[in-house]
This record gives sequence, C-alpha cells and structure tokens, in this order.
Amino acid sequence: MGLFSRGGQSGRERKAMKDHLDELDELRRNSLSELGEMTVTMAGQGSFDRRGLSEKATEVVSIDREADLIARGLEEGLTLEELEDLARQEDEPGTDPGK
Amino acid sequence: MRKGALKKKQRQLEELHLDRREALGELVLGMFVQGNWDDSLLARGAAEVSEVENELKGLAAGDAPARPEPDSAEHDFPATGEYTAEHGLPTGEYTAEHDYPATGEHTVEHSLPSSAEITLPPAGDKPTEPAAPDAVPKVAPTPEAAKPAEPAAPKAVPGPVPPSATASPAPAPSTPAAPAPARPASPTPTAEPAKPGGAAKDAGAVKSGDPAKPADTKPADPSQQSATATPATPPKPKSPLEQLSERLEASESHARTGAEAAKAAVAADSKTELSAIAREIETDRKQLAEALKGAAAAISSSEEKARQAEARLARESAANRESAAEWVRNQAAEIEADAALAAEMTGPGTGSQAVPPPGATETSPDAVTAARIASLEADLAAEKAAKAEVITNAEARLKTIEENTRKAEERVAAAEKTAAGAANAEPAGKTGSPKESAAAEAEAREAAVNWLRGQIGALRQELTKDSSSSATSAETASTDKTEPTDPGKAGS
Repeated sequence: MGLFSRGGQSGRERKAMKDHLDELDELRRNSLSELGEMTVTMAGQGSFDRRGLSEKATEVVSIDREADLIARGLEEGLTLEELEDLARQEDEPGTDPGK
Repeated sequence: MRKGALKKKQRQLEELHLDRREALGELVLGMFVQGNWDDSLLARGAAEVSEVENELKGLAAGDAPARPEPDSAEHDFPATGEYTAEHGLPTGEYTAEHDYPATGEHTVEHSLPSSAEITLPPAGDKPTEPAAPDAVPKVAPTPEAAKPAEPAAPKAVPGPVPPSATASPAPAPSTPAAPAPARPASPTPTAEPAKPGGAAKDAGAVKSGDPAKPADTKPADPSQQSATATPATPPKPKSPLEQLSERLEASESHARTGAEAAKAAVAADSKTELSAIAREIETDRKQLAEALKGAAAAISSSEEKARQAEARLARESAANRESAAEWVRNQAAEIEADAALAAEMTGPGTGSQAVPPPGATETSPDAVTAARIASLEADLAAEKAAKAEVITNAEARLKTIEENTRKAEERVAAAEKTAAGAANAEPAGKTGSPKESAAAEAEAREAAVNWLRGQIGALRQELTKDSSSSATSAETASTDKTEPTDPGKAGS
C-alpha cells in the first residue's frame, strides 16, 4: 500500500516524469536558443533557409508535445505504460502541427 | 567603472543575449506553427540578438583599453584592433526590438500588427524598400536577399530606424522601415561589397562606411532616446554606459517578472502536489478503516468460537463427572453388597454351621477339616478372581476416564490455538477478550482435571479398600472354617 501513490502511478514513476519534464524544459530552451542562433546566422548570411528553420522548429514542437503528454500524465496520475499507450494513440492520427 | 560592475553588466548582457536568442527562437517557432513566415520580422529579431552580441563583445573588448587612455583616438577600437561600429556608437539603444518583450512570448500576432503591411508586397515591395532613403539597386532579387545587410542593421540603421522605433505602436509608417536593414549598407558606396560578405566582411564594410556613419548615427541615437521626431536637436547624448545601465535595468525588471512568474508556477505546482498527497492520505485512511473493520469482525468471530469451545468443554466435563459419579455409585453398591455378604458369612448363626455336613459323622475330623479348607481355598480363589476382574474393570474404566480427560485437554488446547491464531491474524485487535477467554478456558480445564483426578484417586482408594476388605474377609472365612458359600455371590 503506497502511501503516496496516486491512482496506478507510483511515486517513483512520478519522480521520473518530473525529472523528464525538467529535462524537456531544458532541452526546449536549448533548442530555442539554437533556433535563434541559427536565425541570426542566416540573417548574417543574408538568406533565411526556411526548411532548416522548419526542421529545427519541428524538434521544438515535438519537445512541446512530449512535455504536454508528460504533464498530462502527472496531472491525471497515469502510469508509464498508460502514458506510452496514450503517446501511441496520439501518434496514430499523425497530427503533427508542424507538418 | 569598476571591474566588478563591468563584469556584472557583462553577465547581465550574456543573460540578455540568451533571452533574446530564445525569444527569437520562439518567434521562429510561432511563425512555423502558424505557417506565416515574415522575413523582415526575423531580420529584426536577428538584428536585435546580434546587437546584444555586439554589445557584449564591445564590453568585453573595451574593458581593458577603456581605462588607460579614455580620451585617446583609439578609444573606439578594441584591443584586438578590429573596429566594429558599436564601439563608437551608443550601441543599439533604440531599435525596433525594444518593442518586443525579451521573454519571447511574443509571437507573430503580437509583433505583427504591422506585419500586414509588411507582407503586402513581398515581391513588389522592392520598389518601396529602396524608396526609403536612397534606392540602390539590389543584387539579389529574392525577398531573402533583402536581409543580407541586416547584420549591419543595428549599427548602420540610424537613418531608417527612428520611424520604426518611435512608431512601434504606430504600424503603417514604421513597418516599411523594418526591412530597412538593407538600406544602411546601400547608401554608402562601399556597402555593396559588404552584402555578399558575411559578418566578417560586414565589419569591414562598416569600417569603410565608418567616416560617414559616426556622423550619421550619433545624432540619430538621441533622437530615439528623446522621443519621436527630434532628429536635429540632441542636446547631449547619454553616455553609452548610462544607456547600457538603463537597458540592463530594463532587462533586470524583465528577469524579475520572469522570476515572479516562475515562483507563481512553483506555488501552483506545490499546491497540486499537496492536494494529491491529501487525496492519497484520505484513500489510505479509508483502507485502514476497512482493515480495522475486518479485524474487528475476525475478533468477534474468534470470540464466538472460544465461547462455543468453553460451552462444549463444560458439557463434556459435566458428562464425564456424571458418568464417573454413576460408576462410583455402582461400585459403592457392589462393595456394600460384598460387605453384607461377608457379614452374613461371618455371622454366628450361619446355616452352614447349624446344619452339619452330610458326611460329618461318618468321616474323620481331619477329612472334614481338609474338605473345609479346600472349599475355603476354592472360595478364596473364586473371590480373588472376582476381585481381580473388578479391578481390571475399574482400571479399564479409569483408562477411559483418563482418555476422555486427555481428549478434553486436547480440545481445550485446540480451542486455545484457534483463539491465539485469530488474535495473531488481527494485529490491530489487541483487545483483552481472547486472553480472558483463554484464561477462563484454562481455569475450567484445570478444574475439570482436578476434579477427575480426585475422582480417580477416590476410585483407587475404593479399589484398594475393596481388595483389602475382601482379603480380610477371606482370611476371616478361612479362620471361621464355615461352610463354603457361593463363590459367585462373593465375586459380584
């Protein structure tokens, strides 16, 4: 009987999710910074490569989606398996906003 | 300025640089998500970032030479010798990027009230772009080609920027100025070679444009700081450090608001965490209450079992007592009968003595005596056999009683075990009732055993008394030399 378990989610899972969320946040900031740097470089070269920018922005979008998923798992107390199922379900429709 | 303060400002500038880069990335992300690319906006954002970058470089490079000879002609040049326009300029105090929040939450919608005007002639705005100061023919025909010079924008922009900077809220006139980064390079004749070149060449281009620019830019700065349209009368431009400190203060305030937002987010997060913990505790409490209920039910059932075991034990012990009493009564009746028979046999007026034996007169006294002895011996043997039979019966009975006692003890022990097991199964139910019942059982069992032992002892005494009395009666019978009685009677 886990005193701090919420639903089917164990404390260890919740901690792992939080850690991952932090990592994603850090990753997002780094990606945004790289995207800005890329933009500055392109501006210096005099032309904006939209494809390159789009690829990098797609990375950020996917990071955002994953972070949203993890946040939802934390909020609803989902287990890692349930979260994986949810991610698979969300991947199925293929609704990538960047594409 | 002290070295520590410079370092602090440098650190703050670095943070500002990071923030702006992230903001630019956020801007690109917003454009990507909306599918609405605005190159001029990108160019402005990039110019903003590169401006901070240049400031940072300038601060780092101008740190050392600034002090030794502040008024020397090389004042504008960093120690490395490469002249960048920022050194001489009050770098980037006013540019369009002041309109953007540095936190990057601005997306296209925020920053593009003017974007509508920008987008209007993506291909046809080339004529409008050059329309600003002096139209120098562009080398690259693509819309992106309009930006190449924008790295130089922060430095060379002075002319076109004032409208955009001052009119950042006012959309229409300012936005044409946004692509202006291309212009500063164009007006000067030397700017043409600067376009194809990268940032390095850019510096060179600026250097070549140097003679013209310092004159241009310096008056332009105060115009931005002061307000909207006072290009001609800048009384005294603030020193770059003052302007820098102002900007740093602004960025500090940004950072403060960001920190407050982060604090609020942390508070909200901890609140949700607390509520989750409270919910868990509540469910655990419910589970505990259910477990306690189950334990109480188990305890009551075990108590009931113990009570039944006690009642059964009492019933069995009563039955045993009754049967033992019955047996003792029977034995007493038999013993009384034996005693009466013995008394009858030993009495003075017995029929055996009154009636002379049939052959007494004819036989000799020795023969009569011998016959009498033989008969008495036979009588004695019969009586002994009868007594032995009684004793074996009594012993068998005793064994039965002992067996019953043992079984009763075993049952009591089993009942105790079940009670103890039930008590162990429910740790929460540490009430005294099982112990009390066990103690009561033990007392009842002890009393039953004691009573049975007493009964057994009494029976043994009776038996020994019986055997001794029969022996004495046999002896007296042999000494009396009376006629032999019926051995079957004595045996009974």
